[in-house]
Amino acid sequence: MLKLDNINKRLGSFALSGVNIDISAGEYYVLLGRSGSGKTQLLELIAGLSIPDSGEIWINNQNVTRKRIQDRRVGLVFQDYAIFPNMTVFGNIAYPLHSRKLRKQDIDLKVRNIAKEMNISNLLDRFTHNLSGGELQRVALARTLVVSPDLLLLDEPMASIDASLRDDIKNTLRQLNRKGLTVIHVTHDYREAVSLADRVGVIHNGHIIQEGPPNEVFSKPVNKFVARYAGIRNFFRVRFRRDGDSWKAFCKGGPVFRISGNSFPEEGLMILKGNDIKISNSEPSAVSDNSFRGIVREINPSEYGMEIMVDAGETFFLDLPVRDFSLLQLKELSPVWITFTKEAPIALPGTGW
Amino acid sequence: MKNNLFSWVLLFLSSLVLLFILAPLAGMFINTGSSEFIETVKDKEVQESIWLTLWVSFAATFFFAFAAIPLAWILARKNFPLKGVVQGIIDLPVVLPHTAAGIAVLGFISRDGFLGKMADVMGLSLINNPAGIALAMAFVSVPFLINSARDGFASVPERLEKAALTLGASRSRVFFTISLPLAWRSIMTGFVMMFARGMSEFGAVVIVAYHPMIAPVLIYERFSSFGLKYARPASVLFIIVALAVFILLRLISLKKKEIQISPDAEA
Repeated sequence: MLKLDNINKRLGSFALSGVNIDISAGEYYVLLGRSGSGKTQLLELIAGLSIPDSGEIWINNQNVTRKRIQDRRVGLVFQDYAIFPNMTVFGNIAYPLHSRKLRKQDIDLKVRNIAKEMNISNLLDRFTHNLSGGELQRVALARTLVVSPDLLLLDEPMASIDASLRDDIKNTLRQLNRKGLTVIHVTHDYREAVSLADRVGVIHNGHIIQEGPPNEVFSKPVNKFVARYAGIRNFFRVRFRRDGDSWKAFCKGGPVFRISGNSFPEEGLMILKGNDIKISNSEPSAVSDNSFRGIVREINPSEYGMEIMVDAGETFFLDLPVRDFSLLQLKELSPVWITFTKEAPIALPGTGW
Repeated sequence: MKNNLFSWVLLFLSSLVLLFILAPLAGMFINTGSSEFIETVKDKEVQESIWLTLWVSFAATFFFAFAAIPLAWILARKNFPLKGVVQGIIDLPVVLPHTAAGIAVLGFISRDGFLGKMADVMGLSLINNPAGIALAMAFVSVPFLINSARDGFASVPERLEKAALTLGASRSRVFFTISLPLAWRSIMTGFVMMFARGMSEFGAVVIVAYHPMIAPVLIYERFSSFGLKYARPASVLFIIVALAVFILLRLISLKKKEIQISPDAEA
């Protein structure tokens, strides 16, 4: 449906380089990256707001690289929605229909139908400056979808709306995608990728560094950047050593991890997801692959409950639901034991000690 | 206590500046007798010169706006080689002595000049003609319109124009439906500033056209021929008319802004 073939674009000191993306019809593709990683520039290239220095953009088997924006059948919803403040909601939604010179009755019908679908029929006569973030988002979506684009591009659609409204918007986006609309959704938040994407591409410094289904990308990140995007905070610089039939990873801070795998380089980076670590306030009776004694350094509220920072030679971060946290009666400086299986640590390429 | 003293010093200095502007004007109003003033209001020559000043300045602003507004948009949106030089050229009339500007315009519109020759072919003389006056007024005042409109276009978020393009609008439609309406307030401010500046121009106009007499030239002529007492009532009348027009235009431009941000259509 959409094919980006070796796209290169220089923008001042920043450059998108060698970007290849292939998206099938009806796919929900999330492009994940920090601000400044080039994700918005990539959307603008697809929409036709800028032209690549080299490479080709294909939509529905047509080379659109040099085609006018107006002829691409691509809808783009901007991060802050770009709602026209000099028009009513009706005027905004009707804008693309006027550009296509439709008859007044057809415009009226189409605007009312899409407004009903987006649940904003009551806003049609209002000017837009006092609408909420969620309402503006729906107006922007309606304005883009009223001309039935083949491809919907969303630039950080959740960034400017209240957390309470995000689920509503997610549901709307899911429904649109289920009806067959191909979506490219740009975000810096991996949770959006987890909850919406069929496939996720991680972009960093203008390169796509990993691509695949979200569970695959987040369970097997190819490097530290992807791991960070996936919300992982436990990184360890290690040296790998064979120990009989198995392998061990020696952390610089002291702990030695038993790990599973067949071959490792001399040194590298290991990551550990917070929810793979178990914590207890007494020595665990069951034998574990990896068990370390440490003390609680910090306790902070997190969106999952409480985030515990444990010092066990190296610093470990883990999240606990509030109920488990209360049961364990943890305080700062409490002695604790942390355990994890030898399958939990993931080796990444990188510099060791 | 120190802060308080500082506030008083600021207040005193600010009052001095305001007084400096208001005192001569107030003095002129106070020293103009009502009978002289009424006589001046009835004076056909004064009436004609004020009317001439107003319509010629308005016409100059109106016609130059058609080219100045697109130029302002280009300056706000496009980057091109020597953009700084172009911006400098636009500001040049503001820093030139106005009599020198008048000489430059005169050279351009006289029978030997480019525009003068073209006008001559059509049997028109631009010297001592309202068209020549309009050109002199525009020469010194058009930077006000261009700069204000440029700032207005620059303050329109570029992504609104981009969004309009992605919604299938042509470049011209984006300009007329998004850029122009959203920069309207600044454009109107520039329009009023250019109109007001053109209306008050003396130096450039007096060189291009002593006759027909615009109000500033008439005031100067009355002063040099008959003295301060005779120049005063005409000055007061011109100031009152100019202020009234100025306020009216400001109100119109503000009203347009209110439409833009009107809370909702039901109101």
